[in-house]
Amino acid sequence: MPTIWVFAELGPDGAASSALELLTKARSLDARLEAVALGPRATEAADELGRHGAERVFASDDAVFADHPGRPGAHVLASLVDEHTPDLVLFSTAYEARDVAGRLQARLGVTLMSNATDVLGLDRARTEIFGGTKIVDVELTGPSPRLVLVRPRSFAAEPADGAGPAEVVTVDAAVPDDLRGVRVVERHQEAASGPRLQDAKVVIAGGRGLGGPEPFAMLDELGAAIGGAAVGASRAAVDAGWVPYSYQIGQTGKTVKPEVYLAVGISGALQHLVGMKGAKRIVAVNKDAEAPILKLADIGVVGDLFGFVPALTEEIWKRRSS
Amino acid sequence: MAVVVAAVAVFGWRARARLGVLRAGRPTDRTSDLGARARRELLHVLGQRKLFQKALPGLMHAFIFWGFLVLFPTILEAAVAIVDRDTHLPLLGEARWFLFLVDLFTVLVTVGVAIAFFIRKVQRPDRFRGSHMEEADRILLAILGIVTTLALWNATRIALGITEHPGAQPLANALSGMFANDRPTEVLERVFVWSHLLIVLGFLTYLPKSKHLHIITAAPNVFLAKNGPTGRLEPLRIDLEGPEEDLRFGAAVATDLSRKQILDLFSCTECGRCQEVCPAWATGKPLSPKLLIMDLRDHVLGETPRILGTEAGVVELQPLVPNAVIDQVVWDCTTCGACVRECPVDIEHIDTIVDLRRNLVMAESRFPSEAGAMLRGVEGANENPWGQPAAARTGWTAGLEVRVLEPGDPPPEYLFWVGCAGAFDERAQTTTQSVARLLTAAGVDWAILGARERCTGDPARRMGHEYLFQMLAEKNVETLGEAGVTKIVASCAHCFNTLANEYPDYGGTYEVVHHTQLLSRLISEGRLVNRRPATGTVTFHDACYVGRHNGEYDAPRDVLGAAGAAATEMPRSRERSFCCGAGGARMWMEESAGTRVNDTRFAEATATGADTLAVACPYCYVMLDDAAKATGSEMRVADVATLLAESTLADT
Repeated sequence: MPTIWVFAELGPDGAASSALELLTKARSLDARLEAVALGPRATEAADELGRHGAERVFASDDAVFADHPGRPGAHVLASLVDEHTPDLVLFSTAYEARDVAGRLQARLGVTLMSNATDVLGLDRARTEIFGGTKIVDVELTGPSPRLVLVRPRSFAAEPADGAGPAEVVTVDAAVPDDLRGVRVVERHQEAASGPRLQDAKVVIAGGRGLGGPEPFAMLDELGAAIGGAAVGASRAAVDAGWVPYSYQIGQTGKTVKPEVYLAVGISGALQHLVGMKGAKRIVAVNKDAEAPILKLADIGVVGDLFGFVPALTEEIWKRRSS
Repeated sequence: MAVVVAAVAVFGWRARARLGVLRAGRPTDRTSDLGARARRELLHVLGQRKLFQKALPGLMHAFIFWGFLVLFPTILEAAVAIVDRDTHLPLLGEARWFLFLVDLFTVLVTVGVAIAFFIRKVQRPDRFRGSHMEEADRILLAILGIVTTLALWNATRIALGITEHPGAQPLANALSGMFANDRPTEVLERVFVWSHLLIVLGFLTYLPKSKHLHIITAAPNVFLAKNGPTGRLEPLRIDLEGPEEDLRFGAAVATDLSRKQILDLFSCTECGRCQEVCPAWATGKPLSPKLLIMDLRDHVLGETPRILGTEAGVVELQPLVPNAVIDQVVWDCTTCGACVRECPVDIEHIDTIVDLRRNLVMAESRFPSEAGAMLRGVEGANENPWGQPAAARTGWTAGLEVRVLEPGDPPPEYLFWVGCAGAFDERAQTTTQSVARLLTAAGVDWAILGARERCTGDPARRMGHEYLFQMLAEKNVETLGEAGVTKIVASCAHCFNTLANEYPDYGGTYEVVHHTQLLSRLISEGRLVNRRPATGTVTFHDACYVGRHNGEYDAPRDVLGAAGAAATEMPRSRERSFCCGAGGARMWMEESAGTRVNDTRFAEATATGADTLAVACPYCYVMLDDAAKATGSEMRVADVATLLAESTLADT
């Protein structure tokens, strides 16, 4: 029986969801399923990898894999491949896995396919070309193992029925010093508060009508009153430098489809409308009765946003406390 | 004699390597309309027309260039004199008029070199930033050396009585006063003729390595430039059913460039006229057309051993992006064409940039992610950049009498190609409505395609997605053919350019006019009459794809004149107009580096003191109106057609 390996990335809470996605997919291919997990708490992750279909997990908890990106992982994986000769190795297109896959390919001289959106068999994978306008099935030839980098979130992760923890094979992390040349010095977590714009049920967006960066605090307060609302902005507000680009909703920003969209001081240029027209309910506040956004809105408020927004916030708190 | 042979051999050796690189490029057919090519050769090369776009540098170059044409036979004369001092070149060597010309151009070339040093050392224009200044100095000194030794040599020949017509050479004759007819002068005569020839030969061996190679490459480069409007991109036919080895997705490595594109690289003189007019460079982006060409040239030359196969072992060419130029440089371009228009040697920067984009988009799916929504929209079921429902294309017609062409209907005289912006964008819709009402008022037989219209593919093509463009072009040509359309009026500069210049490559040939051209004609035929002259002053912003790329500058101004507003021009107008920042699919990308192109242009418009900024393209409209709102300016932005409608139609 052929063997498929999944190179499992590790997140802060154990196995990364990308690894579980790949295992879930690989279960549908007729093969023995194993995983390789390298880095702190890899052994712990084996349980979850097992529940998603891995029979064996080659694991090492050594910090060398976290401290030195790419090269130690490729080195250890290469010797594992030499010893166990899997037929196919799947990677998620993530930073560490991509790095390891490229180095492994160079070492082994085998076939590597990147940007796959589906794995169809031991020697077939699917990808998209021309910016996603054409779907292509690709045959993988050459000696085993074939390496495939799969886009994250191509599959949904589901545990396998009746599968238990995997057998853990502890791997010797003998990494030569010359592969430790690149060292992780510091890690920073991007500060994020509240739900992501694309996931939020309520989105409050501010536009040019706010007149500056300070009034966005007013939108934050309204969001806090509603609870779990995300704050976004029109391109005009971003271009003016009032909020960062990550706030931008529209053609060249994010597309949102919340339950309720509250547009504050946004006139509703086409560039903006295409990013939020999928909202279930649209509430617009604008001083200009001719603003295009008001034609699209379910509820339109023509008036001064500086009076309306704080009053709304206050009213929501009042009703919530009663 | 051995020196001459050695120098020519070194030149030949070095030139052969360049030629080898050139031949490794993709062949392109640039043999159409030889008459037009010959005319361009006369105007641009012999006439130095594009150089004279700048008066002083133009004069400088013309003196040196014409000087070298005139002085070329003197190199032969010197070569002959090396062998036998007293022999003249047949015909020219003893012709009084030629001797005079030699003397005259000795002076003019010297003046040219002096001007060049004045420009470079005193004026120091910013366009030279990034150019090789020391190399230019060396070349100028060599030129000075060539004419100085020539003048001194001629002077000694007069002193020694070798020249039969001393009167024909006033300068040399005057200089000859320094020399007596004696032994030392005989020695000096040999010194001057030898140094003259040695500098010339040294120059020759230096040529292929230097930017001065343009004295050989510029003339063929001008000859091989594209004929016709610069707005037309060369098609890249993609046939997925055809043989795989024929599939090309633009320029990934050096040998993917066409021979013309490589010749462009070898023709650049680093003069920086392109850099000076580039909207990306002017607003602090990393792109400069000059640096793009120089960086590509250096990269391609660095690849020479690998291209010619003289390097042992497995050799792979390095990707042009990001090795020669970084990704951002490729995406900064608005394809406004200012660089192409300015370039004295007819380098075609835009075609190269689009070829780089084609590879990034189609082969690597690597492009500014925010532009993905546009590509998905154009490619999706609704076939427009905003992904708006196709049925909403006629939303602007409410309250107007508009004939929507259904399959089987008789064709109108003019099909009004509304365009996606004109159909969906709130502001551009006002232009569309104005054009519609003016056409009806003038009694034109016109109709629209309605929901059957789709994006022309221009934004996809300028992004580098040639395949998507090709699909749309083929579909649109089919729809237009079935509808029996022969004449099209378009209010979007980009649709206009694509329909007029690019659809013929896909089998769609129509008489295409921009709306300002049709309106101007209707006015001159008396079919639109001014009822209420507009008040205030107006300044007009030329759209790149109407003006520079298609040569129409007067029609929009004529329409504005008929509307009755007092006109004032911005410093940069007509051929030298400054882009709004939206072309080249920049409309669909964020502009985070430097200052914003639209703000820069809008500031120029407000500085005229005009009340209204007139535009002739929906992209310009959106960009400049955004700038107006961002600055809180009172200046009104409106399309030429809207201003005309206000002054000619009864019910507005």
